[in-house]
Amino acid sequence: MSRPDIHDVTPVPVRRYGQQFGAVVLIVFALLFAQNLATNQNIQWPVVAQYMFAPSILSGLGMTILLTVLAMVIGLSIGVVLAIMRLSDSRVFQGAAWAWIWFFRGVPPLVQLIFWYNLALLYPDLSIGIPFGPKLFIWDTNAVITPFSAAILGLAFTEAAYAAEMIRAGIQAVSGGQVEASATLGMSRSQTLRRIVLPQALRIVIPPIGNDTISMLKFTSLVSVLALPDLLFSAQMVYARTYQTIPLLMVATIWYLVLTTVLTFAEHAIEHRLSEGSPPSKRSFQKRLFDMRPFRRQKEFSA
Amino acid sequence: MTMPLLKVERLRKSFGDHEVLSGIDLSVNEGDVTCIVGPSGSGKSTLLRCLNHLEKPTGGAIFLQGEPVGVRWRGDRLYEMSFNEMARQRQKMGMVFQGFHLFPHKTALQNITEAPIIVKGTPRHQAEAEGMALLEKVGMPDRAHYYPRQLSGGQQQRVAIARSLAMKPALLLFDEPTSALDPELVGEVLAAMRQLAEEGMTMLVVTHEMLFARDVADHLIFMEGGVIVEQGNPREIMTSPRHERTREFLARVLPQAV
Ligand SMILES: Nc1ncnc2c1ncn2[C@@H]1O[C@H](COP(=O)(O)OP(=O)(O)OP(=O)(O)O)[C@@H](O)[C@H]1O
Ligand SMILES: [Mg+2]
Repeated sequence: MSRPDIHDVTPVPVRRYGQQFGAVVLIVFALLFAQNLATNQNIQWPVVAQYMFAPSILSGLGMTILLTVLAMVIGLSIGVVLAIMRLSDSRVFQGAAWAWIWFFRGVPPLVQLIFWYNLALLYPDLSIGIPFGPKLFIWDTNAVITPFSAAILGLAFTEAAYAAEMIRAGIQAVSGGQVEASATLGMSRSQTLRRIVLPQALRIVIPPIGNDTISMLKFTSLVSVLALPDLLFSAQMVYARTYQTIPLLMVATIWYLVLTTVLTFAEHAIEHRLSEGSPPSKRSFQKRLFDMRPFRRQKEFSA
Repeated sequence: MTMPLLKVERLRKSFGDHEVLSGIDLSVNEGDVTCIVGPSGSGKSTLLRCLNHLEKPTGGAIFLQGEPVGVRWRGDRLYEMSFNEMARQRQKMGMVFQGFHLFPHKTALQNITEAPIIVKGTPRHQAEAEGMALLEKVGMPDRAHYYPRQLSGGQQQRVAIARSLAMKPALLLFDEPTSALDPELVGEVLAAMRQLAEEGMTMLVVTHEMLFARDVADHLIFMEGGVIVEQGNPREIMTSPRHERTREFLARVLPQAV
């Protein structure tokens, strides 16, 4: 038997029978599921289509987006302040930030929403005044705490607690040399923080903030317990009347998926933009460990 | 005799009960290049970092252009300056670090223009024109829009020097500016520093580059154990040191050819 010259032949690629079998099984399941979705009469696709863009559903969608945006903006703003307090050298500031994080991370958001909504039972009126002295302004708690403000408080304060820890880690990951370099250029503390430290910390923190935004979008559905007409509650209102439970849940589900998909793409785009100037990823070899393309051609050799 | 640009009197610094600087006296005249040499751990970096209060001195006084650094008289009481009050004095003392510390999220040009724009309020177009001139001076106008990670170590350090110069400091501090560089990149940074010296920039340079110290410095300081052991004309000290400790140090670090 004579072997061909090693330079004339292409080696037979590594066979991946296990992965090929697994892939076939998954594809079969996916097809079955797709067929079921398409043919199951209980879903009532025409009803889904009818309500997809109904005014009440769209205004619920708007409410969900508004809640998400407001809760994230307020939460992140408070989170930056909390993170800076945690990093300050004052025990009092550290302690206050620690207490906030401890409380709002520890209490489930649903409990908080109900609690904020019922604040009037604890404090019948809210006032601004001189501590231990006269009150200057007084409001009736029931006028201040609406379902909307209760929802914002509960969601934003919880987010602030999580964001504070992320942002603190991000700030700590920026090297001390950056602050020293800024100081020797004559920058003030706030200039150093705003122009040098936070932009670098932000890059590190963008992926977890993206995750949090997606979680927040889903957490907003909790506000339906306060009868606040978000996407879920609007869908519930319709099926309470028409008993078309599954089609309306499908409408809500599809909208939530659309929003989370958009957010995922937005996050990738922002991450990509912010990564200017950062070192190239060294992960390409690590990826080979999880190489799962069962029907892949080995291109390396054909070149 | 005119007033020295920088005057340091009986400067002390301890970390806990470990005294790192035990009474440093020195002065730097305008336009002079002063090199500080000495074995590792002798307190050279700590001295530089005390000058601009990156570390707070434990005792002694520092005067820049006759003004006390980091403290301020009000009536007959002396007050510590806050971080932001210090910023005005730090502007006058640029610093170049061993590890460059360029801002990684900004291009070379942006690294240079950032402080003039936000600290001094220089209009952007003017800051950019001046920044380009500085990049030209350190020999890399074609790298203006590169990010630090796209530059070699020597190029990064030259941008860092340009960045310090952009604030038009009265004095430039260098802490081992070439120690983190590959040997073949050291020359380009030293050349930029040599050019600055020729233009009359006042520089205080901690370095292990003995040839640079010999050829460029007007004044050489040898430190060991937190004190200045010997100072004076670089050539005189290198050829005929007066102290045994200086002699031992020079024997270890001086290239044979000197
Ligand atoms: N932040 C700090 N906390 C405690 N000790 C310190 C600190 N910084 C420096 N030291 C100590 O002070 C001494 C002098 O350090 P310094 O960095 O000034 O030396 P150096 O002369 O610059 O040395 P090298 O040539 O290695 O850079 C060392 O013993 C060091 O351990
Ligand atoms: Mg040092």
